Order: sequence, then C-alpha cells, then structure tokens
Amino acid sequence: MASNQTNKIFDSIDSVHAAFAEENYITDRALALTLKLAADLEKPILLEGEAGVGKTEVAKVLASVLDTPLIRLQCYEGLDANTTLYEWNYARQILHIRMAEQDSDKRATLEQTIFSDEFLLNRPLLEAIRHPGPEAAVLLIDEVDRADEEFEAFLLEVLSEFQITVPEIGTFSAIKRPRVILTSNRTRELNDALKRRCLYLWIDYPTPEKELEIITARIPGIQASLAKSITEVMRQLREVDFYKRPGIAEALDWSQALLGLGANTLTPELMQDTAGVILKYHDDIERLREIGADTFLNPQP
Amino acid sequence: MSMTESSAFIERAMALCRVAKDEQLPVSQSRVIDVFRALKSIDWLNEDDFRLALRTNLAGSREDELRFDRVFHSYWRNLATQQENFKPWRHELVRGEKQYGEERAHEDLLTEQEHFGAQDVQRTLNLSARWDPTAPPLEQVIRELAKRLATRPSRRHKQSRVGRKIDLRRSVRRNVGNGMDMLELMRSKAKVRKTRFVLLADVSGSMDAFNPFLLQLMLGLQRALRNSRTLVFSTQVSEITMQLRRGSVKRTLEDVSAIVKHWSGGTDIGSALGRLNRGILAEGSAGSTVAIIISDGYDNGRTEQIEIEMRAMRRRVRAVVWINPMYGASTFMVRAAGMKAALPFVDHFLPAFNAKSLTSLVQELARI
Repeated sequence: MASNQTNKIFDSIDSVHAAFAEENYITDRALALTLKLAADLEKPILLEGEAGVGKTEVAKVLASVLDTPLIRLQCYEGLDANTTLYEWNYARQILHIRMAEQDSDKRATLEQTIFSDEFLLNRPLLEAIRHPGPEAAVLLIDEVDRADEEFEAFLLEVLSEFQITVPEIGTFSAIKRPRVILTSNRTRELNDALKRRCLYLWIDYPTPEKELEIITARIPGIQASLAKSITEVMRQLREVDFYKRPGIAEALDWSQALLGLGANTLTPELMQDTAGVILKYHDDIERLREIGADTFLNPQP
Repeated sequence: MSMTESSAFIERAMALCRVAKDEQLPVSQSRVIDVFRALKSIDWLNEDDFRLALRTNLAGSREDELRFDRVFHSYWRNLATQQENFKPWRHELVRGEKQYGEERAHEDLLTEQEHFGAQDVQRTLNLSARWDPTAPPLEQVIRELAKRLATRPSRRHKQSRVGRKIDLRRSVRRNVGNGMDMLELMRSKAKVRKTRFVLLADVSGSMDAFNPFLLQLMLGLQRALRNSRTLVFSTQVSEITMQLRRGSVKRTLEDVSAIVKHWSGGTDIGSALGRLNRGILAEGSAGSTVAIIISDGYDNGRTEQIEIEMRAMRRRVRAVVWINPMYGASTFMVRAAGMKAALPFVDHFLPAFNAKSLTSLVQELARI
C-alpha cells in the first residue's frame, strides 16, 4: 500500500511537486526532478546552499510525504563511527551479569545473551538500515561538512553497501534502502568520492514569486499585501552586503512575527523594531539602521 | 522517436558528457552510466528536464552547475564556447552575484557580462611567464609545515591500541563479557588538532614582482594542505582552490589565468576582506580557521572599510596572519594606509618573499 503510494509520488516530476506542495513545501523543477531521480536511481542527494534556504526541510517534508520516519544525523567535528552506528547498553548488560551470577544455568550462555540484539542500541545509521518499512526511512545527514574527513570516508562505505557489521552479532543489510539526504554549508569541500555517489543540487534563495507562494502556504491568515511587501523587502535585503543574509527561514519567522503583532502593513518603525528576526548580527542591524528601513519600503525606481 | 533518432540522441548526449569532461567537470564512467539511467526516468524531449538530469549527475558543486549550464548551452545550441557576451561561471564566494531561481540563472548566464573596474587590466593573462622554474623549491618547507600540522595534539581523544591513556568507559564495556574483570584495557590517544587555512593573496599590480614566489606558495600550500582554501584579489575576489588542486603546474597556471581576469589590477583590500567575511568565513567552523593574508597593504579602497572588516574577521577566526613581502627589506616601514589600518587586528605580521623567510613563517603557523 505504502509502496504503491510512493510509486505514485515519484511517478512524475509534477507529482513530486504536488506531493511537496500538499505539505506546504514549494519545490522548483530542479529539486522535484532531483528527488524523483534519487528515488528511481536509489542514490543519495547532496544539497548545498546558504543557511536558511530550506535544505533540512526537504528531508523533513520528504519523510512526511512518504509517511515514514525521519532519522537525523547531525554532524559535528569529532563525530565518530561509534556514535553513528550502535552502542551496547552496558548498564543493562552489567545488571544482567549480576542477575546471571545467581543462576548457574544462565551463566553458561551469558556472553551470547549480553551481546544480542536485546542489548544493542541503534544509532542513526544502523537505525536507518534496520528500519523494517513498509516504506524506507529518510536518513538526513545534516551539515556533513562539519564532520571530519575520516568520518566522510566511513560514510562513503556505508552509502555504498548499505550494510553494517556488528562483530558480535553479524551483518545487517538494509531491508529497505534508506532515502539519504546530505546537506552541506560548504565550510569545506567534500571528498570527490562522496560527491560521486550523490546527486547534487544547489538550493538558492527563492524568486520573490516563489517566496510569496511559500509564505502564503506556510503562514495561513497572512494578508496578501503584507506577504508581498515582505518578499519585496527580503529581495532587497539579500542584495545588501550583510554578514548573514536572511533566508527563507527568516522570511517565515518575520511573517509569523508580524502576524502575531497584528500588523497589516510594513512601516519603517516596525521593520526596525523587528530587525532582530531577520538579521542575526549586531553589525547587520546597525547597517540597516544606517541605510534606513524606509529605503527598503519605498525603493527608488 | 525512431531508433535512428534515439541513437543519434544518445550519441549527442555522450558527446556532451565528453565536452563536459574537457571543461573540467567531474565526469566519470559511473556518472555517465547514471546519466543514462536517469534519462530513462524523465521525458528527455523536455530540454530543461534533460539538462537538469544531466547536471544533477555530473556536477559536484555550485561552480560545476554553472559551468555545466554554460557547456550545455554552448553544445546543445551550437553556440561558440567562448561567446563574448557569455557570463562565465561565478564563484560561490561572490554572493552579490547570486542568481535567483532556475530561469533567472539561465537568463543571467546568457546575457550578463563580466564587469571590470577602471583600474582592472583587460588583457590575456599568461601566468606561465610569471612562473620561475629555476626558483628553489618551497616543497620541503611546506611539507614540513604539513607534517607539523598533522602531528599537533588536540584536547580530544580517539581510540588507539598503543595510546598512553586508559579509556575507562570503553574498558568497562569491553570487559562486560568477562564478568567485569578488567582483563583487557582499552587505550586512547590525542587526536590531531584540525586547522584550516584560508589564504587570501593580493594579485594587484603592486605585487607583480612577487608573483613567482606567490604562485609557488599558493600551489604548494594548497596541495600539501587539502583542507585549505585559496583566494586571490585585486578589485575582485576569485577562489582558485580547485584549480590549484589538480593537474600539472602548466595546467594549473592555464586554469588560473583563464578564470582570474583581474590579475595585476587595482587593489581594494576592504572589499576583498568583506567578501571573505560574508562568504566562506560566514559559513561556520571559522573558529578553527586561520586567515592568511598576503599583501603589501597598498590600497585604492576605503581605509575605514579595511578596519571594519579586519575587526569582523578577527572576531570570527582563530588567528589572522598577514604576510607582507616588503617586510624583509632593511628600509621597511609601515607606510601604506591599508596596512596601518589592518595591523591592530593582525595576530602575526610576518615577512615571506623567499624559501628562507618562509621557514620562519612555517614555524609561526605551526604554533597557531
């Protein structure tokens, strides 16, 4: 049943677009096509782009569209294979040993027992591989560029074989190959070998039209004129050399904030007062003050 | 589509992959196989879908995407590759030139021209002429730096059979099966401390005399330290990391010559630092980054901007190293206004103009 539904979602590029739109995620053709190809070719997707353009959201929405769990692996410097694969629940193992000491029958099979599935703690990669279905899990490997190169090499192996060996138990092969989405903010270039295994897509800031569509879809109740003003201001803000330009996430937060404040129109005062929602550096807020919020609301032709 | 038409189409798609490979796109046999697998899933008569399907398989970065689009338009529409009004692929760092959406990207790619400042030199650059094959090699010194960086201990530990420290947690876990009798001790040792270098080299006209040394240094550092990134600036900024990483020296110089159109131009240090601050230093993990700026400090831009951007950079990175090739001269004094503005925010101000002076630089860098 789930499989049939999945086939329908990935039937065409338009059906992917429609399925995502139902979850209020507006895809462009490149993203919809990449998602379809990833499903057809069973390949991971590597998404790169500025912070806040919706890379992580793609995985969340994909999981939601497919009605399957999203398993997230947040990468960081120093992340190692043990943290991402499995661990033994050694507190339970110790308890079990203490109990077995009282029982001579159990003592004979103790080692076999404590190194069994019952005492295994699945970490994200193993969890994704062991996910029984009916639909494959969505595995989000977020900000892979933050992890060390050694981990990247290890990941390469996992993504090639989709199987993990636990020496005490045996090899787990993927029941359903997880749908893998990797994201990167490009703090460093990723290994070519890893890139080769992935479909690549750069996610850019949206067009004002697309952003308007996103805001109206995600923030129900917002007035069309206010949403239009927000997208126009966001477009202009992204042309200023801020340290951190506002992404879609900021546009949505700002829309939500303005809606919460009961605003119907954007005024320079309101924009200045809520600048902290869209700009995340003190220098950028100061810069906005210098330029003047009214410049963005009444642009010169 | 008839069989003949199909096979002609496949041949052209294959030829396009070959052209893409010639244009330095990471085209491999497995990627080409995936391209044809992907074509089975789409309506290949739809030109945009066809392009996107090829691109998602053949590109490995935003730059590759832009380059592929250029190749596609050149090949599929029989346009000349070096069409004059064609916007060449742009570097991710230059965020002000980002496109919005797919359609706009195409529009931009096909219509925009590259703009140069009044002081930029618009002529064909031949970096091979500035490469001195007789200069003493820097490789040994740079290799020494790479070696020192690769052996610096971090505060973090990793498991090791021969480590000095006993890893109690792993030892307990290991010996659970032995009824908690510590028969086997697990050990750990310090991890290597990771440092990323971002090299920002001034290639304006006033630095021309140092070009042979600069080229050797950039090439050597980039090849020895894979984690580092290299950018050059005059009145614009260009990232040349990928060009420095691959191929022979001759090929590298040709590639860099092809993409850096502003070599020997004017200087705008403030803007270049701003681009760096808003580009790769804003992308995270800048805390483990050391910024190395190579410049004589002569500047045509705003001095106040240098101060603002240097202050911002100092807050972001682990250390700022400024290498001034003039520094070694006996009569050297900090006269350049740009240099004066930057100095308060510089952690290490060093000379480097030949292999000997590079040794002291290496010692400093290894200590950071």
